[in-house]
Amino acid sequence: MQGHVHVVDDDASFRTAIERRLKLAGYQVATYPSAQQLLDCLPDDSEPGCILLDVHIPGLSGPELQGRLNELGLTLPIVFLTGHADTPTTVRTIKAGAEDFLTKPVESEQLLGAIARAMARHATVRDERSRLGEVRALAAELTPREQQVFGLVVRGKLNKQIAHELGTTERTIKAHRHQVMEKMKTRSLAELVTLAERLGMLG
Amino acid sequence: MVRICGWIIGLLALLAPICVSAQPARPHSVLVLDQSDLRGPFHYQLWSGLRGVLDARAGVRVTIYGENLDLPRFGGAVYTESLKRHLKEKYRDRPIDVIVSMGRGMLEHTLSWRAELWPDTPIVFAMLDERDLAKLEQQSNVTGVILKNSMAGAIKAARAVVPDLDTVALVGDAWERQALFSHWSEEIPAATSGLNVIDIVGQKMSDIRKRVAELPERSAIIYTGVFSDGEGTFYPAATAFGMIAEKANRPIIVGAEPLLAMGGIGGYVLLATEIGTEAAKIALRILNGERAGDIPPARAGVKPLFSWPQMQRWNVSESSLPEGSEVRFREQTFLERYRWQSMAVVAALLLQAGLITFLLHERHLRHDAEVESRNRMSELAHVNRNATAGELSSSIAHELNQPLGSILTNAETAELILRSDNPDLEEVREILADIKRDDQRAGEVIRRLRAFLKRTPFETREVDLNEIMNEAFKFLSVQASGRNVALYLQTAPGELRINGDPIQLQQVILNLVVNSMDAMSAIPYGRTVIGRTELNGGSAVEISISDSGPGIPSDKLSQVFDPFFTTKDQGMGIGLSIARSIILAHKGNIWAENQTGGGATFHFTLPLAA
Repeated sequence: MQGHVHVVDDDASFRTAIERRLKLAGYQVATYPSAQQLLDCLPDDSEPGCILLDVHIPGLSGPELQGRLNELGLTLPIVFLTGHADTPTTVRTIKAGAEDFLTKPVESEQLLGAIARAMARHATVRDERSRLGEVRALAAELTPREQQVFGLVVRGKLNKQIAHELGTTERTIKAHRHQVMEKMKTRSLAELVTLAERLGMLG
Repeated sequence: MVRICGWIIGLLALLAPICVSAQPARPHSVLVLDQSDLRGPFHYQLWSGLRGVLDARAGVRVTIYGENLDLPRFGGAVYTESLKRHLKEKYRDRPIDVIVSMGRGMLEHTLSWRAELWPDTPIVFAMLDERDLAKLEQQSNVTGVILKNSMAGAIKAARAVVPDLDTVALVGDAWERQALFSHWSEEIPAATSGLNVIDIVGQKMSDIRKRVAELPERSAIIYTGVFSDGEGTFYPAATAFGMIAEKANRPIIVGAEPLLAMGGIGGYVLLATEIGTEAAKIALRILNGERAGDIPPARAGVKPLFSWPQMQRWNVSESSLPEGSEVRFREQTFLERYRWQSMAVVAALLLQAGLITFLLHERHLRHDAEVESRNRMSELAHVNRNATAGELSSSIAHELNQPLGSILTNAETAELILRSDNPDLEEVREILADIKRDDQRAGEVIRRLRAFLKRTPFETREVDLNEIMNEAFKFLSVQASGRNVALYLQTAPGELRINGDPIQLQQVILNLVVNSMDAMSAIPYGRTVIGRTELNGGSAVEISISDSGPGIPSDKLSQVFDPFFTTKDQGMGIGLSIARSIILAHKGNIWAENQTGGGATFHFTLPLAA
């Protein structure tokens, strides 16, 4: 599987070794001696990729970079790789969404496995996100009245109840409902509810 | 009447003893007839000897009359006759109990006047040579003090003074005019046998002075007595002797004690005081009731005496003097003269030496204690380093795993490359070079760690403190990021050369930084440690470690370096105490203070290498 691996490590020798190995495995590799450098030229997360991040780097530390990337909404999964793993740091990073936490020296198999998993995860996330984008685009086509109806339908309200609530006739609601199904390209109420959930309407 | 007579008789009987005891005792009187002139020390000594004894008599006082008849200068029948008349008139009403007669000439006169002037008075003679004693056998009521005054004695003294003596010069007035030494003229042949004799007897003073100045080597002067210059001028004995001694080129053997003080080297001399004393003692016995005839003549008044300054002048050693000799005017040695001062100085020196010894001993003990304390400190420092290494294990693991990680990855990559159909050997070569370098890096970490953990004695050498700071901070960086502490280091430009033990100094820095990190464990964010090195004047370097923690309670500032003082639950209270011990062993200072903006700063200074 192809993809872009962003390696952040202050140890030049280690960066070279990892770069060699990952390239041999078929990945594209970008290396950064510090967290700040990665922040300075943020990688494109629309392509498949992941970040291989050292915990102990001078300046901005690995976990700190993780926090910043989360804030920025970057979806690239992070695999931590450290010379020494202490429990608090491990827990903190995993809770913050790290894909994996590896300890040096790491065997290639383990490393490549973790990267592959991160790549797959990223693919899923990206798919998910692109599908959500489509749904959002569909939802944007709805008129305000249709959106109102959409919101009430997915909460399980009957047409009669909706008509009463919106102060209109049952027939009108039926038409709106049909339009919503049409525009959202769904054939069943169940599908419509799934989309609504993905859009965060059922919070 | 009978009663009255009885009363009177009784009264008389009562009064009788009172009358007897009330009758005054007649004071005793002694007449001293001296043939000499009354001037001069010999006379004074003789008289002080006499008076010393007679005046000290308990009970009845003794009156002393004295006559100096100056017989050496005056003589003749007419003079003697006039003297007799004079004395007869003078002492007509003065009863004399004892006559003391000094000298042979005087004794002869006394005896000749005796029948007429003092027929029953006992006579005590003095200064009479034993040779003349025989002539007195037939005289009754006469006794006295005899002495042996021989030329042989003078020659013996001369031989003692001049060991290789071959010549003697005889100096004195004509023998017949000599009161005390006239009999020597008969002795000359026997006494001087084997010696050359230069006869300067009976010469004029000017000639004597000339001749005594030209005496040959290996000679000595035998001096009897000169009283006139032979041209009509008479001298006191001491004056004449002084004139001769002034010119003499050889040691002078003398016959009278006072001449010792005037340039005579010594000899068997007449002791005037002793003669006076002995004569007086005999006179006293007679006054106390003994008969003169029953008192045998006493022998006294001659003794070998020598003068120390003259012995020094003629290089005479004390051991060559005749047996029983007494040395006069001995120059006191420094120690004798300043006895107390010397003793005080010696005591002070001894005290000082004792004190110095004591202090040296103390210093030795102190040095031992210092060495011991330094050894203990080194051992404790070693224990502390072990503990620190434990605390810093994450840093150590990181340091090691970094190169090991590279090595593993590189090795696996190389394996894969070699397994391919068309292996890129150039890359494999690069990889191997990298592996080698990383292996060395790992080895270096182990070496440093071993050095840090080794139990080493305190050893200083010239080191760059900036380099030590850099290494320590690099080592601490992992620990710091793991504990979410920002670590900064600002070093003074250039090198800071100091004399120190690099391991121990690194330990100080580690201890201080770890201490700072521990102090900040409770604060939620903004944990910062800043290390600084800077020159402090031209001769010292100052290092400070500041943190952003809560600071040190002001009442604890002075205690933080005390052993076993700790505010941590897990701490031993050893780290800062070790840091202080190490800095003090490096002749530096260490102290803690709170920053105005919060947080604590630890400072230490070290002297720059000269």
